[in-house]
Amino acid sequence: MNVIDSVGLSDFGAEGEEDSSDTSSALMRPDEQLEEKSAPAILAAHDDARALVRLVQCQLCSKPFRLPVTLPCGHSLCRDCLPEAHEREHVSYPDIPGRRKALQCPFEDCDEEHATADCNVDVTLNKIMEAIVDVVAKHTSIAGDTPTTMEVISSWDNPTGILPSSEKTIYHQLPGGRLIATFTLAAQGKLGYNTELNYPIESSAEESERAVDDTVLSDLLESLRKEVDCHVCYNLMLDPVTTFCGHTLCRRCLERVLDHSLHCPVCRRTLVIQPSLKTQPTNKTLDNLLKGLCAEALAARAEAFAQEEDEEQGDLKTPLFVCTLGFPNQPTFLRIFEPRYRLMLRRAMETNREFGMLMYNRYLEPQGDLGPVHFYHYGTMLHIVQTQTLSDGTSLIETRGLYRFRVKAHGTRDGYSVGSIERIEDVTLEEEERIEAEETSLPPVEMGDMVDEIARMSTHNLLEMGRAFVARMQSRSASWLQQRVLDIHGQPPSDAALFPYWFASVLPISDEEKYKLLSTTTVRARLKVTASWIRRIESQRWYAPSPSPSVQSE
Amino acid sequence: MSAPLPKRIIKETERLQNEPVPGISAQPHDDNARYFDVMVEGPGGSCYEGGVFNLELFLPDDYPMCPPRIRFLTRIYHPNIDRLGRICLDVLKNNWSPALQIRTILLSIQALLGAPNPEDPLNEAVAKQWKENQSEAIETAREWTKLYAQKN
Repeated sequence: MNVIDSVGLSDFGAEGEEDSSDTSSALMRPDEQLEEKSAPAILAAHDDARALVRLVQCQLCSKPFRLPVTLPCGHSLCRDCLPEAHEREHVSYPDIPGRRKALQCPFEDCDEEHATADCNVDVTLNKIMEAIVDVVAKHTSIAGDTPTTMEVISSWDNPTGILPSSEKTIYHQLPGGRLIATFTLAAQGKLGYNTELNYPIESSAEESERAVDDTVLSDLLESLRKEVDCHVCYNLMLDPVTTFCGHTLCRRCLERVLDHSLHCPVCRRTLVIQPSLKTQPTNKTLDNLLKGLCAEALAARAEAFAQEEDEEQGDLKTPLFVCTLGFPNQPTFLRIFEPRYRLMLRRAMETNREFGMLMYNRYLEPQGDLGPVHFYHYGTMLHIVQTQTLSDGTSLIETRGLYRFRVKAHGTRDGYSVGSIERIEDVTLEEEERIEAEETSLPPVEMGDMVDEIARMSTHNLLEMGRAFVARMQSRSASWLQQRVLDIHGQPPSDAALFPYWFASVLPISDEEKYKLLSTTTVRARLKVTASWIRRIESQRWYAPSPSPSVQSE
Repeated sequence: MSAPLPKRIIKETERLQNEPVPGISAQPHDDNARYFDVMVEGPGGSCYEGGVFNLELFLPDDYPMCPPRIRFLTRIYHPNIDRLGRICLDVLKNNWSPALQIRTILLSIQALLGAPNPEDPLNEAVAKQWKENQSEAIETAREWTKLYAQKN
């Protein structure tokens, strides 16, 4: 289920729908909404009193929420309105109290079963309701005796289909401005969730009534302010997600918390939740409430968030993973478990699925302009082919090398390295040919000098030397050419440009030696490197064991 | 290369200064807003009463996902605080939660002064003394407080 698209506006009545549809789509996609600076449709205290009250009405009992529970599907209802739980059948895991019983979700667009353990009071929403009740009580007591008249509009969705035409129009008179009176009507159970109201205007008092409602709403916003801040970022909640234990954070914040621990940051209970939060719906009531009450602040918050994400990066846009060697066109398998790399992985998945792989520079050898840094400055851009997130939040990822690069500048972002890079590309074909012609036409040298001898071989012969070596080793059943290895890396490529990368990926020699391929700018130069390996192996049986191709992050 | 200061740290700092906790203060450095000079008063009724303890606190890059780093600068005789001023406190380690904050951490440290726990020691020698001869240990803690933890 795509959570963002599923955020419905069904909780709004006809009136609300029109006002809020454009803001909701703009707000839910912070990165897309920057251009559209249209004023968000905030609900006005006086004119939208009915819609405002609906934001906190339970869809089941129509009264303002009392001990609201937010269900795993993101809908809220009063605790007393929860349907009766029944014993579940055919469920044997995890067989723990609270999961043996379930209730049928009363919301039509969900219609699923929710385990009773997942249905707890929504702490944030409950605090909001307490604050609202306090503000209403305060203003009711000072309202005096200027009541508001409300005319019930016979609703067109009357389930019985019978309009009470024979009866007179129903009027209610309650103390306070429109907001207070409407809320009180709902609290008395006389205002159906879908019922619309008409407020007959007495022109003389119009202005002062407006002022009364404005005061109530600004009082309300004031007292709600601290309840709607996320506990982690201290900002207005953006895309609020509520855990089964009833605690709410911004979706982004909860994601980051789950990188570090699978416990609720507020109450420390173990969260039985997909660490990616993919299927975790937004808290619909809270989301609509925030949009209705403080759409402007929310839009500003979304914009600031997008900007922050942007600014933080600066010129150092490329995420860098300092871990191992990767080669173009070759697969690299990684297990990502450190929180900072989980974040890096997630961000990469959200953008172009790419990150740079660099080798760890254990002895801090100087790297060109960068000096002694903790990585070797030539690396390979990896494309994430697929990821599998395990239940503990760690991921197994399969990547394929795209191209080589050199790090020009680097920094850190949320604990992992980032940098600006330049691509390393091979010289033009003309240049490649010129170099080969030049080198192969050099006068022959005495036998025995390996470097000179290799330098004089044709590019084609260098490749054939490599392929012949592989064939020879295969016939001797070399362990590094077992079927398992070939299944992963494929057969030796016939393309001279790619053969060295394949060869380096399977050959058990040191990474420092293989690293030499990354800075080459001609096909010929790479083949000369591989040829030198072969010569040395043949002359000295020179090679050292190297770890298997599947490596872990540092 | 430092990223801009997160809103959360700005807000926490503001609140620490606008609504200070009695007996606790935390002042960020002018040149590094992630580094705080901290002062905690010994809790009343404890052997650290009357003492003013200086600590240093640093908010790492991944704060609040990771706990602040904090240690005593003032010498203190306490079973859960070692000679380097490092503190053995669950919320500074595995029990850290991003919903905690500088304020709550400092309150926890103040509470730790009021309730030394020799069963989970960081300073073995002090813990041993605490278990074997508590009254003497408390007396030593009082003396150290007078000796090292006075306001200057």
